[in-house]
Amino acid sequence: MYTVLHGVPNPVARVLLVGPFASERHHSYIPWVRWARYLAAKGMECLRYDYRGIGESTGVFEEMSFDNWIEDVGLLAGWLKSRSPEAPLVLHGLELGALLAAKVFETGVGDGLLLWAPPASANQALRMMLLRRISMDHAFKFGDERKPASDYLRQLENGHFLEVDGYQWSGKLWRDSFKFQMPAGMEHDSNAAPACRRPIRTVKLDKHAVPLIKGSSVGFEAINRDFSELFADNVQWIAQALAIDPTGRPW
Amino acid sequence: MKAAIETRELISVDAAGCCLRGTYHRCGDDSQGSGAGNRTGVLFLNHGFLPRAAPGDSAVYWADALAQSGYPCFRFDLPGFGDSDGNVPAQLLDFINAGGYGSILSAAIKQLVERFHLSGIVILGHCAGAVTALFTAASSKDCTGLVLTDPYFFLPSERTRIREELSRWSSWSRIGAMVSNIYYCLKYIRLLVRRNRPPRNANLALLRCWNQLASSGMPMLVMKAPSLKSHGIKPRMGEFDYLGYLEGLSGRGSRVVIKFVEGTDHSFAGAVGRAAIRQHTEQWLNASFGTESGDRGLESCPAPVRSGRSDRCAEVPQVLHLNPSGISR
Repeated sequence: MYTVLHGVPNPVARVLLVGPFASERHHSYIPWVRWARYLAAKGMECLRYDYRGIGESTGVFEEMSFDNWIEDVGLLAGWLKSRSPEAPLVLHGLELGALLAAKVFETGVGDGLLLWAPPASANQALRMMLLRRISMDHAFKFGDERKPASDYLRQLENGHFLEVDGYQWSGKLWRDSFKFQMPAGMEHDSNAAPACRRPIRTVKLDKHAVPLIKGSSVGFEAINRDFSELFADNVQWIAQALAIDPTGRPW
Repeated sequence: MKAAIETRELISVDAAGCCLRGTYHRCGDDSQGSGAGNRTGVLFLNHGFLPRAAPGDSAVYWADALAQSGYPCFRFDLPGFGDSDGNVPAQLLDFINAGGYGSILSAAIKQLVERFHLSGIVILGHCAGAVTALFTAASSKDCTGLVLTDPYFFLPSERTRIREELSRWSSWSRIGAMVSNIYYCLKYIRLLVRRNRPPRNANLALLRCWNQLASSGMPMLVMKAPSLKSHGIKPRMGEFDYLGYLEGLSGRGSRVVIKFVEGTDHSFAGAVGRAAIRQHTEQWLNASFGTESGDRGLESCPAPVRSGRSDRCAEVPQVLHLNPSGISR
């Protein structure tokens, strides 16, 4: 598994970054790395990684399942925590990564949970990607050459593979995505501590967050978008939620 | 999973003061890390802001495949992109189209050639990466060939909002499509009037690079995906045929091969595109560099490379091996 550790001496906290899924990874990569560097500059050591079967990690994408990817989050969280058990651990997920992080957090792993643009279910996230793929297909075809969305869905529902942005989605992945939902109590903005008694924050991201999330298009003009306000606000939340000082001093 | 790990290594190069991070794909007979040994290497350049895996991780697939065929492959993130250090230029496209990455990549290529004892490097560049590949090749003595996928030779200008709306309208409306066709007919007439001279927005510096490389006999493979309302490698009516123009200029000594890849899109990330790029590139490499890359043996053994751990680089890309009982490095 490919990981990048943004190391910090004597970190005040550790953050496991669970990034977005498949093709979404590529578009959000620059702000995601900048966020990791920002956290490290604030004394929070963080680890980002590629899901098995995606990006630089090995494995065959079409053989992977949500269970595999949850397992990865759990193991990496354990590894990160073991580096210095006294430092609190935050799980932070973006889009589908938020679902994975929430699932693992629900099992008792982590001292805080930060969710950016979490979908209600994995299917919601996959459906958005699929719609973008269909609109791309339609942009280069005319009249009868354009297949309706129902044809794409039928292909997956019948258990066949469908290629989306170079990844082979299996019928099983699609079926499983319906059942893979945000744990109860974490579906909506829940800045107040929920039943699990550990801090959780949900941040909705809109079109101004492109390319951190994918909007209608990701052009060259959005690459250098300034996310410092979002970053500062979330570091502030982490510091308050965990009662730590991002400059390294006691809170 | 383990086999794939054995064929890859995370590396970094310090080029022009910037730490570039990337992945080295070892050759099939070099899984023990003894070195590439006087072969021709392949350097992958992405189209722009995406990380080095490329859309659908297609670059990973190609690099694995070509390394298996005896060509050590390297994929790097450009400064400010992916895992590499540095900043992204404010006007990225202008920077790329002016050959801004040429010098840093020339320095990186020089280091790779020395470190891995390569006979030279072939750059495989996609779209804007192809533009960078041409500029780099023109300034690097170590670049021995080019593979260009969907290159472009003009200076794109930002589209106005009205132009965007008109374009969208023409894609779903029959009347819009007719208006679009008329517009391109008029453009075609203008091309004829101009006697097939490059349009005003042609990237002349890039055309000069091509001309210099092609006339010097550098082997080049160009692959084109189908584009809107075009036929084969020819652009749609009314658009300037840069490849045809450049072929005409290149002269008899040129070694340019142009292939059209049917059934794919601009990213080449789908199954058809991937297979075609792999097949054409492998055949072309064997034909152009086969004697250099062939039976090499392992007599040449450079010192083991321990990169991805450069002192300059505070961030450490690493491979973690997962197992049911935990994680070990």
